[in-house]
Amino acid sequence: MASEIETGSKYIPEMAQKEIEELGSSIKAASIKVIEDNIERMKKTWKNRAKSMEYFDEISNLFGQREKEIREQKEVGKKVIGYSCIFAPIELILAADAIPVRIGSGWYDTAKLGDRIMPVEICPVIRSTVGAKMVRLSPYLELSDAIIMPLTCDGRTKLSEILSDYKPIWYMNPPRVKDDPHTLTMWKEEIQVIKEKIEKLTGNKITRQKLRESIETMQKATKAFRRLQDLRKGSPVINGRDAMLVNQTSLWDDIERWTQKVNELCDELEKRVEQKEYSSHPDTPRVMLTGTPMLWPDSWKVPNLIEESNPQGVVVVDEQCSGDRVLYDPVGVDEWIMSDMLAAVGERYLMACTCPCFTSEHGNEDRINWIIDRIKEYKVDGVIYYVVRGCILYAMEYARIKRVLDKMNIPVYYLDTEYTREDVGQMKTRVEAFLEMLEARIDI
Amino acid sequence: MISAGIDMGTQRVKVAILKDNEIIAQSQQFSGFEPTKAAEQSFQEALQQANLSRTDIQHVTATGAGVNMAPFADSTISMMGADARAGTYFFPSARTVIDVGAEDARAVKCDEKGRMLDFVVNARCAAGAGTFIEAMARALEVELEDMGSLSLKAEKASTINASCVIFAESDVVSLIHREEPKPEIARAIFDAMAERIASMVHRLGINPDITLMGGAAKDVGFVASLKRRLGMDILIPEEPIFAGAVGAALIAAKRAGRRR
Amino acid sequence: MLEIIAETLRATIAVGLILAGILAILIWVRNLTRKLSALRLFIQIVSVAVIFLGLIIGPFGLDQWAYLGSAPKDVVIGTNILGRPYPDGLAVPTFACYYASGRTTTCVVWQLQSYIFPDYETSSVYLTTGLERLAIAFGLLVVMSLIFGRFLCGWICPFGLYMDLLTRLRKALKIRHWTLSERVNEGLRQARYLIIAAFLILSVILGMRAIAGIELISETELGRYLEIPFCQICPAKPLFVLAESGLGYMNLDYALSRTMGDFALTGWYLTSINIIILGVVTGGSFMVRRLWCRICPLGGLIALFSRVGPFKRLSLIKLTKVEEKCTKCGICKRVCPPQVTKVYEEKGGDVTASDCILCFRCVEMCPYEGCLKVEVAGKPIYKSKNWLKEEE
Repeated sequence: MASEIETGSKYIPEMAQKEIEELGSSIKAASIKVIEDNIERMKKTWKNRAKSMEYFDEISNLFGQREKEIREQKEVGKKVIGYSCIFAPIELILAADAIPVRIGSGWYDTAKLGDRIMPVEICPVIRSTVGAKMVRLSPYLELSDAIIMPLTCDGRTKLSEILSDYKPIWYMNPPRVKDDPHTLTMWKEEIQVIKEKIEKLTGNKITRQKLRESIETMQKATKAFRRLQDLRKGSPVINGRDAMLVNQTSLWDDIERWTQKVNELCDELEKRVEQKEYSSHPDTPRVMLTGTPMLWPDSWKVPNLIEESNPQGVVVVDEQCSGDRVLYDPVGVDEWIMSDMLAAVGERYLMACTCPCFTSEHGNEDRINWIIDRIKEYKVDGVIYYVVRGCILYAMEYARIKRVLDKMNIPVYYLDTEYTREDVGQMKTRVEAFLEMLEARIDI
Repeated sequence: MISAGIDMGTQRVKVAILKDNEIIAQSQQFSGFEPTKAAEQSFQEALQQANLSRTDIQHVTATGAGVNMAPFADSTISMMGADARAGTYFFPSARTVIDVGAEDARAVKCDEKGRMLDFVVNARCAAGAGTFIEAMARALEVELEDMGSLSLKAEKASTINASCVIFAESDVVSLIHREEPKPEIARAIFDAMAERIASMVHRLGINPDITLMGGAAKDVGFVASLKRRLGMDILIPEEPIFAGAVGAALIAAKRAGRRR
Repeated sequence: MLEIIAETLRATIAVGLILAGILAILIWVRNLTRKLSALRLFIQIVSVAVIFLGLIIGPFGLDQWAYLGSAPKDVVIGTNILGRPYPDGLAVPTFACYYASGRTTTCVVWQLQSYIFPDYETSSVYLTTGLERLAIAFGLLVVMSLIFGRFLCGWICPFGLYMDLLTRLRKALKIRHWTLSERVNEGLRQARYLIIAAFLILSVILGMRAIAGIELISETELGRYLEIPFCQICPAKPLFVLAESGLGYMNLDYALSRTMGDFALTGWYLTSINIIILGVVTGGSFMVRRLWCRICPLGGLIALFSRVGPFKRLSLIKLTKVEEKCTKCGICKRVCPPQVTKVYEEKGGDVTASDCILCFRCVEMCPYEGCLKVEVAGKPIYKSKNWLKEEE
């Protein structure tokens, strides 16, 4: 009975073509403005901004050069495989000569469109992605030939249904408990299934040689990524927003070129370390962000406040899947044999991840350890716990994290917000008060 | 050392002038549509009170929700920072400062030196701020100043079901039609507000001594409900409205002496 | 005089070559995920060379015992402990098999089984009392376990080298390895204690004539064999004997000649049991990494005296983990040859397991700086590094 009613009807109701075009182009124009504005603001705060950042500014335009490149490559037969979550095994996509792109939505304006068909209580990232689909805004979502969707949180689970009306969706079922005996067996099978799907779509077999090359490519990317994050451990030579932008561009850029450009950036920054040319005063309160991912461009709302307020703060590290968690963990291969390489790839994406979608008896200890370690290594003064309304997983982990941070005598502030620009005033008050607090503590 | 603080509140601007950390002048004005002008006027009035001129003031610090619209300021401080400082100024034993203003409320945890350790802001609910009382007073057709004493006459409170200001108003109207005694309704209103404030304070952790500032601190009905709800005594300064301005002025004094 | 100079010169050159080799590896191998493993392989080869030094430096062609080929047993070291003659040589807890020739040390399992009767004198060769010999052997076992622990298994034992070479062969042929389930591993872990206990008891029983004058078996070659029951099933014995025969150092006729006479058939069965077990272990070790180490009773003895109870605190070499740096990525568990899970499961602190052969592969492959550390006498000497960075 359900199939009779449901067949042929889509979750997103049909919209008039004219409306789609109008809304799409106006939101796109607004988004480009936000992108430009963010870059201007970053330049203003970092007076002698590194020249190597220009490349990332260009790539940060979601509708610019990169979209064109992907389109051109599609025309000569390459496939584009999108993914919603960093559980997806990128190495397999690269080994099959396909293009990986992340399809999370960071547009505030499309969240309002999503409100038309979903309740407001739902995670804004999901509403925003649906809204983007309604007006065909996201270039990467539109260009994908298939989308890998690991069903990590409820929002993404249902999002996969919605998107399945438009694209082939490849589900991945991640086990939620890491230490169960059958976890790795389950995940190994998921990886095997995805591998076969990728091979079928692209028509390319993933051979041992190709997989080895793509693992090594990603290892080089991790090496460059870590090199950049290491430079944030001392007095700031790069501001948080700029580093966050560099980190995020890896999600849609050509990874080899990205690696090269990051290495150039690090070369430039290392010289600055020697010459003590800092992007912010060494005494600036050092802030760590943790919580729901902050997707470019609109989610720069809170980091903008942190780094532009009076007193100023600088974001030195974050625990977010849009930032410092993206490429930090390498694939550790023991024997360069297909079975071991696949096991290594699979395990890296599942086990090294500190997402709150995992659970265990004593809480998400992996995430707590990650945060503790980073606080010590980066000499963090305070933590801003950023949660968008509707995100149950991150919201629920706050209580434990607060206890741990209280014991370490690190102030933490729970900042909950939405995909809206209307609460900037309120956010500003709170961020400023928090930074004042941090500054006062430094003086003690 | 002469310093001044300007508190650009949403309803009123307040100015305080301190000489060697003693209050020598206080003045307030309604913000209205031109808060900057109102602040200037208030500042002039305070200067006259203290018999000083503008140049005598060594450092001015501004605070409040409209801090960006202050006519002049040498520095700014967040409302929470000002509150913390003012709290320990009025009561050296204070460790939790609650400030209930017209449109928002906050609770600040501080140490013995008046330094902010943690803070909580009321997120999205106007039923935890002063305007709630004003709206309810209108619904009850009682003067705002009389609400407090009215509620103290009640032995118990009526039941208000709604969690939102807008709906609470219609709840109150239906209670009046049912001829519930007004004191009991008034008390219920204050209890509801105290409930919101108390839960905010609980998020911070109860750390005695607790002090209350801001406009709502003058309302005996609200204070009684809050004391009941928190289960402990609350310290209230003589003129709680000026707490923010005084706190800002204290910070100004410290900053004048120090190179930043 | 010249002799001493010549000897010292030879020794210095040898040591110099070894150090040069170590230095060469440390400099030449750039890949941080292979550097330590390469070093370990080199040390293993050097250890085997040292253990069978007689085969390298001679003297050769001596007419000592008829069954020997061209290499003597003369190079045995440790024959004199504090003035007491100790002809069988230094007991080391590795498979430096007694039955091989040209060796410098002796397997402690043989010595324990052999000396298990303090009052049992086999021949006038032994000038020390049985009790003394047993004490020395046992003492050496405990002391070396405390100092080195199962580092001996990972870096010195020749049988370990054999298994590692099999693994390298398998990797070169691109064949995937097998893993045993945790239950099986646990079973093997328990089993090895049973095995060593069983064989020591068996040794007592079969050597009964010393105690009660009862002869279970006639005083023959076979009898003498059976008094050392473990060596009759140990896979190392036929490996070394066959290897040396292949190299021409051992006279295989001897082994065959021992199967004639009274116990021809039994002897044949004994030798074939040994060889069958060697075959099974070889095949198994080809597919399962370090298979024998999981059940090795000698490993169990070392573990007993370095990882259990009071010995745990005294043991010198430890593997430690810093809790907050661990992301539970699982690499350490996956790369571990004997499939130790303790390093992964323990939250922090001392994570050396009784199964761990201290090969440090987990430390080598851990990608988080400073998470896993090797500590000697409390001082960290090797830490996990960000191996993406090649050494400058």
